[in-house]
Amino acid sequence: MPEGLIIDDLHLSLRAPAGVSSGSSARPVLSGVGLTVAPGEFVALVGASGSGKTMTALSVLGLLPPQIQAASGSITLGGTDLLAASGAALNRLRGGRIGMLYQQPKRMFNPRMTVGSHLAEPLKLHRGLRGRQARAQALELLTSAGFEDPERVARAYPHQLSGGMAQRAMLAVAMAGQPELLLADEPTSALDKVLERQILELIDTQRRQHGLGVLYITHDLATVSAFADRVVVMDAGRVQEEGPARSVIGAPQTACARELLEACALTRRRIVVAGEALGLGPSRDILALDGVTKRFAKGRGAKPALKDVSLSLREGEILGVLGQSGSGKSTLARLLVEVEAPDRGSITRKLRAGDGKNDGGSAGSGVPGTGVQLVFQEPHDAFDPRMRLFDSLEAPLLRQRTGTADGRRERIQQAVRDVELDPDLLDRYPSQCSGGQLQRLTIARALLLDPAVLICDEATSALDAVTQRKVLDLLLRLHRDRQLSLIMISHDMNVIRYMSHRVAVLYQGALVELAGTSEFFANPRHGHSKELVAAARAHPAACAAPVACSDLAACAHRMLGANVAGGRPGTSRSLELVSARDA
Amino acid sequence: MMLFLARRTAALVVAVLLASFVVFLIPYVTPGDPVRKIIRSRVAGDAIDDSAVQALTAQLGLQDPLWTQYLRWLGRFASGDMGLSYTSRTPVVDQVLPALWVTLSLVVMTLAVAALIAVILGIAAALNEGRAADKAITAVSQAFIAMPEYWLAPMLVLVFALELSVLPSAGWEGPTSAVLPVAVLALRPASHFTSAVREGMLDALGADHVTAARGRGLSYFHTVRKHVIPNGLLPLTTLAAVWFAGLLGGSVIVEVIFAIPGMGRLLFDGVLNSDIPLAQGAVVVVVGLAVLLTTAADLVHGLLNPQVRMRHA
Repeated sequence: MPEGLIIDDLHLSLRAPAGVSSGSSARPVLSGVGLTVAPGEFVALVGASGSGKTMTALSVLGLLPPQIQAASGSITLGGTDLLAASGAALNRLRGGRIGMLYQQPKRMFNPRMTVGSHLAEPLKLHRGLRGRQARAQALELLTSAGFEDPERVARAYPHQLSGGMAQRAMLAVAMAGQPELLLADEPTSALDKVLERQILELIDTQRRQHGLGVLYITHDLATVSAFADRVVVMDAGRVQEEGPARSVIGAPQTACARELLEACALTRRRIVVAGEALGLGPSRDILALDGVTKRFAKGRGAKPALKDVSLSLREGEILGVLGQSGSGKSTLARLLVEVEAPDRGSITRKLRAGDGKNDGGSAGSGVPGTGVQLVFQEPHDAFDPRMRLFDSLEAPLLRQRTGTADGRRERIQQAVRDVELDPDLLDRYPSQCSGGQLQRLTIARALLLDPAVLICDEATSALDAVTQRKVLDLLLRLHRDRQLSLIMISHDMNVIRYMSHRVAVLYQGALVELAGTSEFFANPRHGHSKELVAAARAHPAACAAPVACSDLAACAHRMLGANVAGGRPGTSRSLELVSARDA
Repeated sequence: MMLFLARRTAALVVAVLLASFVVFLIPYVTPGDPVRKIIRSRVAGDAIDDSAVQALTAQLGLQDPLWTQYLRWLGRFASGDMGLSYTSRTPVVDQVLPALWVTLSLVVMTLAVAALIAVILGIAAALNEGRAADKAITAVSQAFIAMPEYWLAPMLVLVFALELSVLPSAGWEGPTSAVLPVAVLALRPASHFTSAVREGMLDALGADHVTAARGRGLSYFHTVRKHVIPNGLLPLTTLAAVWFAGLLGGSVIVEVIFAIPGMGRLLFDGVLNSDIPLAQGAVVVVVGLAVLLTTAADLVHGLLNPQVRMRHA
């Protein structure tokens, strides 16, 4: 009898949702996925969002969303055919022979029930334990999930648990049925590095003790590599690469595996492409703040959100604005797009050459106030959930009161292609898109009005590492192709370092430092800047396996090539490679 | 929890006092001199003696400052003395209490029927989302929510009392007399509840923890029973309390049409006859009860939600 989990040539397809006009009736979600997890083996399933990892896991449990169906292929666990299993047989498998961990552990608990009652369910269903026996077993499970006070945790409601606690409690629930296979769907993506390591170690202990097969889904190739026996890389619904963890990370064979590693490298501070505007020349200021103060709370002692900030943005520049939450970053963005007006000081806008002072921001679009556009942090909140994406993108164009419906459609489709998306997506509703797709659409929507300045307020903070990297590279390309000036607002040092020509640091509403990027990172002057840079350096290099030098170089060359190929005269970018040892 | 209760009780008292003051002011802002009205209701003929007016004004204490009158009125009210009805010349309390009992039974029956229908139909609709059953239930409940009582009541009387002669057309004696009024009153809350239960159930069905429950091996039936229905019915508790408060005053039309001796009927008569003590007594009791019920609903909702319960523990 074959042992462990065997997925063979699995095809999943999506039935077109009702009301969405789509040419093909069944789009493939997975195309011929094959992978195995032997008993006691730790397999990492790695891929960017939308690559089909989660669907692979859900098809093992038989919990696919109703619009997705298995077209062909087979899934067996210890010889049992899971695709052909009856409802009752599947119920015995779920939680019994297969345990599952999820990405958002707190949302996976019923808010009205204690952790203990969640544990009682699988104990009763799969092991026939009730009453005192079940309680004792529940406490034991919580103890082995790393809780020192299992009784208190058993009595706790989900809202009383932190994210890390909830995931450990979920591990206890998953182990309650003594499974032979654990499916972990990005269980640590929402947790910080310390907690991530803790969860991984707990899973690893359970694997060693119980001979548990683990299928660990993640987009973070680096962290999981210390634990995984094998790595399976997925992209676009296919398995692209498979092999021992060491070889996949050491010498990735496929483009998508390299891409995942590069994304990991960005967050790991391994590679830095600092884009200093060395030869920017006598560029003029297109936005200038002079002594701007803004306060929201009235009354004495109320601290202003921004105080006496003087700052300018040069044409064609990428200005990074660093600061912790509450430092006034978003207030700055709101002032620049004229959602708020300054209490004191002035903001000068000369968005096109020859513009007068304070032209109200009317740039190419002709609609006042559209020359500076804003991209927000939460892409799902930036669209009306009840409007088709096409209508959301058309709304700002309708304000111009010019052009025909066909003309608008053409412009919108072009803008969507510009952000590297398929215009077919426009027929969907926001809930039917991924965060990365929506963030590209917010950028497309902003670009439709042909702004001179694009402000990205934590625009990639809500995205996974791979998607973040892709969106950042898209912004760099748009910056180059369209002479777009960018203001990147972020608390993420790496994003700022990766993107900016100059860095401005806001601290408690005041501008405390403004410097060229490499100068800033080499020699921060203000106390707060020093702290920020030191914290970024002190961060442990969690990338367990070294990235092959050739890949670092290849990646660097790709970036350099892109910049040189499309670079404007007089603009060059310095390229810096910082090895792990330096950082 | 105690602090939470104390705060809610304080808010409740303030609300009732405010309402009572407004009610107290009614005779002062309505056109016409109540003293003359009282006398006119007692004396035949058009001529009213000015000295009689003055005497009655003094007797009722109407020459005192407004706030003295209010405090006196409030004090009497609090001790259960709602004054004498101008028309029947009997204590208002003796009319209000039996009427309150009638209205409460009518409203409780109405809500029970509405909730029962809503739970059955709402759950059925949600579990069959998008199918014919769901569409039919949704369409019917939306049609009924727009059906006014003053139209529906005569229609039902025409059919069941006059044509078929199976139910009494009016009065409040025996269980059969309650059928038509309850049916008329329950229709709109039942429609409203049904859509609320359907929405609540759909939210509960789509929750991530339901997927997780299935992932633990719970059957569909078990998951729905244990994790979906209790969570999905939560919104109904608040909604039912709001309707309870609303129906206490809102049963006027039905009580008048079916000649039911309830609070609505009493209020209607009080206003129609300018019987101010009667109207005041009825309104304050209805308002007080409505405020009390809304507060009770908040408490119940809090008790059912561990997150709220713990925050105030």
